[in-house]
Amino acid sequence: MGSMKRKSLEDPSEEQPGPPSKQQRENNGSAVSDEPVACVHDVSYPEGYVPRSNPSSVEAGKTVVALYAIAMSLQNKQRVIYTSPIKALSNQKYREFKEEFSDVGLMTGDATIEPNASCLVMTTEIWRSMQYKGSEIVREVAWVIFDEVHYMRDRERGVVWEESIVMAPKKSRFVFLSATVPNAKEFADWVAKVHQQPCHIVYTDYRPTPLQHYIFPSGGNGLYLVVDEKGKFREDSFQKALNALLPASEGDRKKENGKWQKGLVLGKAGEESDIFKMVKMIIMRQYDPVILFSFSKRECEFLAMQMAKMDLNEDDEKANIESIFWSAMDMLSDDDKKLPQASLGTSLFHMSVSNMLPILKRGIGVHHSGLLPILKEVIEILFQEGLIKCLFATETFSIGLNMPAKTVVFSNVRKFDGDKFRWLSSGEYIQMSGRAGRRGIDERGICILMVDEKLEPSTAKMMLKGSADSLNSAFHLSYNMLLNQIRCEDGDPENLLRNSFYQFQADRAIPDLEKQAKDLEKERDSIVLEEEDSLENYYSLLEQYKSLKKDVRDIVLAPRYCLPFLQPGRLVSLQCTKSNESSPSFSIEDQVTWGVIINFERVKGLSEDDANRKLEDANYTVDVLTRCAVRRDEVGKKTIKIVPLKEPGEPAVVSVPISQAKSLMLSCHSLASFLFKHSAEYFPGLFFRNGIDELFPFQIPMTAVASASLPLVPEIDSFSSVRLLIPKDLLPLESRENTLKKVSEVLSRFAKEGMPLLDPEEDMKVQSSSYRKAVRRIEALESLFEKHEIAKSPLIEQKLKVLHMKKELTAKIKLIKRTMRSSTALAFKDELKARKRVLRRLGYVTSDDVVELKGKVACEISSADELTLTELMFNGVFKDIKVEEMVSLLSCFVWQEKLKDAQKPRDDLELLFTQLQDTARRVAKVQLECKVWIFLLPCSLSSLYFLEFVIMVQIDVEKFVSSFRPDIMEAVYAWAKGSKFYEIMEITEVFEGSLIRAIRRLEEILQQLIQAAKSIGEAELEAKFEDAVSKIKRDIVFAASLYL
Amino acid sequence: MRGLQVSLNQTQKIRLHRALEKLESFSSKSNPNASVTVADTIPVNYEDGVLKGHGTSELDGEVVATLCGVVERVNKLVYVRTLRARYKPEIGDIIVGRVIEVAPKRWRLEINFSQDAVLMLSSMNLPDGIQRRRTAVDELNMRSIFEENDVVCAEVRGFQHDGSLHLQARSQKYGKLERGQLLTISPYLVKRRKQHFHHIEQYGIDLILGCNGFIWVGEHVEARDDMIVEDQATKSEQQDATTSMYPTSVEQEERTYTPLETRQNICRTANAVRVLSTLGFSISVEVIMEMVNLSSSLNLDIHEMLGAEFCVLVAEGEAERRSLKKKKG
Repeated sequence: MGSMKRKSLEDPSEEQPGPPSKQQRENNGSAVSDEPVACVHDVSYPEGYVPRSNPSSVEAGKTVVALYAIAMSLQNKQRVIYTSPIKALSNQKYREFKEEFSDVGLMTGDATIEPNASCLVMTTEIWRSMQYKGSEIVREVAWVIFDEVHYMRDRERGVVWEESIVMAPKKSRFVFLSATVPNAKEFADWVAKVHQQPCHIVYTDYRPTPLQHYIFPSGGNGLYLVVDEKGKFREDSFQKALNALLPASEGDRKKENGKWQKGLVLGKAGEESDIFKMVKMIIMRQYDPVILFSFSKRECEFLAMQMAKMDLNEDDEKANIESIFWSAMDMLSDDDKKLPQASLGTSLFHMSVSNMLPILKRGIGVHHSGLLPILKEVIEILFQEGLIKCLFATETFSIGLNMPAKTVVFSNVRKFDGDKFRWLSSGEYIQMSGRAGRRGIDERGICILMVDEKLEPSTAKMMLKGSADSLNSAFHLSYNMLLNQIRCEDGDPENLLRNSFYQFQADRAIPDLEKQAKDLEKERDSIVLEEEDSLENYYSLLEQYKSLKKDVRDIVLAPRYCLPFLQPGRLVSLQCTKSNESSPSFSIEDQVTWGVIINFERVKGLSEDDANRKLEDANYTVDVLTRCAVRRDEVGKKTIKIVPLKEPGEPAVVSVPISQAKSLMLSCHSLASFLFKHSAEYFPGLFFRNGIDELFPFQIPMTAVASASLPLVPEIDSFSSVRLLIPKDLLPLESRENTLKKVSEVLSRFAKEGMPLLDPEEDMKVQSSSYRKAVRRIEALESLFEKHEIAKSPLIEQKLKVLHMKKELTAKIKLIKRTMRSSTALAFKDELKARKRVLRRLGYVTSDDVVELKGKVACEISSADELTLTELMFNGVFKDIKVEEMVSLLSCFVWQEKLKDAQKPRDDLELLFTQLQDTARRVAKVQLECKVWIFLLPCSLSSLYFLEFVIMVQIDVEKFVSSFRPDIMEAVYAWAKGSKFYEIMEITEVFEGSLIRAIRRLEEILQQLIQAAKSIGEAELEAKFEDAVSKIKRDIVFAASLYL
Repeated sequence: MRGLQVSLNQTQKIRLHRALEKLESFSSKSNPNASVTVADTIPVNYEDGVLKGHGTSELDGEVVATLCGVVERVNKLVYVRTLRARYKPEIGDIIVGRVIEVAPKRWRLEINFSQDAVLMLSSMNLPDGIQRRRTAVDELNMRSIFEENDVVCAEVRGFQHDGSLHLQARSQKYGKLERGQLLTISPYLVKRRKQHFHHIEQYGIDLILGCNGFIWVGEHVEARDDMIVEDQATKSEQQDATTSMYPTSVEQEERTYTPLETRQNICRTANAVRVLSTLGFSISVEVIMEMVNLSSSLNLDIHEMLGAEFCVLVAEGEAERRSLKKKKG
């Protein structure tokens, strides 16, 4: 141990003569007390920088700090805990440490080995629950090592890190290991503040093996070096690469999203597919081993199938692979060995045990989360042994596990994120490209992007050379967390909130905001106007006038009235801005232009009650052909602006939302989808991470939207009575151009007497008193305008513009001040209150915050929706049903994937599922009534302030209910009945790995339920749960990891 | 009220009787069927499934009580909450207990539960607060932390697999209690609250309402500052590693002398608890303080608090209070 300590001390300081750029080492390591907290991070590949000249000495870069901490604590007879985000990584680390030090234990949800050892490797979730339960380990641990701490930004699980760090014993010391994060300083400051300990940052962005980035244009034959190992972007060869793109892409691209990878997969008839060519070239140039990343499990397997013809291994290697493979499979029962996954290619192209072997023997592997865990591990081992030359993997392979290759290939540069394809972010790119280049073996790592469509140099630059994602808090509250906090005598949820990284980041923004507000105030005060009072008067009149006009429009445009008039071909006037103008106009006349209605469609909401809505109440979008200025910004995002017909621009179709938006609350769907679709364009930095599903449904107060200075949603001004004949096919540019020409013609024909408009009252049958009232008031205002003293002033327009600017500044200042106020207040405070209300309403805690019986049960349940499960239990649902049925019912809590055409479970299971849905609905309703709002956190807080509004989501009852999926009920039922795994695989069409993971998680929940049943004293139920555990815990599903 | 051991004169008897009757009239509104004795059948609706919780069992197809107490129902769960029984620990409860045995790596504590509670050496913070594994030396020095008959305050950690009840001390504020009084009352009188530790600044005393019915009234101890403790620890280590951490020398005792006034306050508070428990009133820090204030405003001596007159006064006061509350409600 002593020698270990020395080794790790010397490595960084001695073996590295000229410290590479940007590297600081603050810890001199002479005594532990000099380095109480270390926060280490490096360029995403797990090893930092042990110099190449001495590759054999230590295997690790950042791990060295962890090893040092472990060695120190073992020497002092202290405990040390090593947490990692992934079970597989824990297993690997356990093995690694076990070789180095003997006194090592492992605790994951799946396995527990030597829980009394001095060095414990565990998942972060286990560590958190240990802290809540007050395990004795908490009192003995001197060092806590958090590996991959950048997981803290994970939307779902990130909060676990925050909880664990905040609650960790104050006397302990910490090591945080992380991939590169630009705001490491911020994180370190937070830890220092929470734990009252100094926190050093050890940082390097030096790569021992430099990277070269190439582009492989689809259909082309060669590689083009785009970024060399010095990090220089080569514009010329980038252009060459793009020019080599097949011109065919022009036509094919029409159908982009769905089928755009076709060329990649199938290739031209008779020709080899791109991927095949690519792999061949890589092997030829001896760039292997290679990892090929693709972004879906299916595609991954599909690509691997393309390689069927290739053989990359020698005979002795084949024999080797076979022996490794079968010795690993030995632990499976004979039935499991016959699993389809063992044999490649079922209906879903699933890779499976015996079918997998031939492929593996040829040196080709597949790695994704849908594989059987055991297969995945065999492949990992084979890859590490260098027996797999070419590995097709999904993004998951890039996280955690230390498995570099010489080359990394991106089969796509765009990724489907639930709603649309988007470019890879630079953070993702860094993470994955970090796998390229094995230290000590390769001179340099190679990254190849397969590009099949034009991309702007700026986009490429962003992706290839952008910075890593910054570490932002993804804090959110959960009931389990609240209950656990309330249950402790010293625990206080508010305390946790106050110490959270989220709060810390929010607090940090305040000085910045103050400065902003000051600057804006200065700017505002510098604007001086003559006759300000009368101008202001005029301005407010104008505002009134405009808002009245808008009211009128809203009434007329209500689907109820305008629906019959939305025929294709009708001319409509749209509001527009002149191309050279950015601020709104101040004349009484609105800027309008004309367009033709092409089509209209009903907006589909996700929730079902949308479909039940009456025709008139639904929301619609109208597609209107008009002239637009289309601008592409650097990132390649399109901005479309409607311009007058005569100005230059392309004819384009814009969709105009029409909805029942009457009050200040904008109809949620149209706005949400609008925001979502355009968010990336209008609000750089704002992402809705999990796609649009998460946005629904929510309501944003109109004021908030307005203040967010949303770009103008195109709006229909009025309908004309003229209709044009429009050509059927509008796809070609000419036909669109022609149609617009026709529009101009009509306009000029009616130039004198003006366009005949549909009269709202007579033609459209608008009969509402509010309409008439508004019209009367408009008339009154118009007369006021004429009389107004200042109206005749020649410079009125300019003056108004200046005034408008001033007003906008004032509004902005107000907003910033409001944000400041809300960030000084405790973030999440309202949500905390609301959630406590829920707990009280459901009888989990009393009014003076004492946890009741139900609350104690919910405390135990951390792996599933605690409220619904507790309610189910207390309603006696589990009491009367058979064990198998119960297991099957519980499966709904763990299965989240959506299956398209999953068969319905049989009747008695269906009945149980309805019971579950009823309970869930009740729980959701209580939450709704208690006004539980959830913050939707945009990616970064800074963009939040930029946006100046926060999106809040109200719990949607139906969505909550439908988050329980019955898809695997049958399969789990059969499994509990004792079926073989291959039998249950025939029942459902899911990936084996996913099913196994679900069942393992199910076991976790059952264990928690056993504890819960114990605490309420219901012995029968407890026995039942135990029975259930014994029924599902068998065979391949719980086969031990090969790393153990 | 069963064990009321005060000798009352005639008028006091009548007054007390009246007050108690009044109190009863307020409480009897709750369902009389709710209280059961052993083997009583608990009426339940069998059709929609019942969960049988603590204190219940099934006998000939009927749910019967196995304990005396009050039937409680949470949704479909039926359980019996005992009144004058022993303490039933729940995870997270704050308890006060007395050490009865120093065993290998653990202390056994009497906490008024049906079995002795176990406080592991590893579940206890080391005196110097350092985070490390416990060694054999620590084990030998266990008596320097707690000895037999020491009064200790801890938190219920939970039942272990072997069925034993384990305690833990989460922070420095748990541990040995010194210079004060331990009172034992029926556990049902102590209501579970968010806070069980109370520092009453006015009197300079600490009040710990253990959920197990053990109540500690003692001189206030400043929560030990971690840094200072560390300093002392290192110093004493330097002096002599083998001497115990808390040498009980004469100087030490002088330094920890409790002033008379504090002692009186402790006694007064303790007597307030005694009066309340004899009357069977539930105990909370507010009620206790009310009693203390009442006694001092009446210029009663501490010993007079246990006399008949005060007892009757308290009962009447309580009856008055509840009737007021009733009217408001």
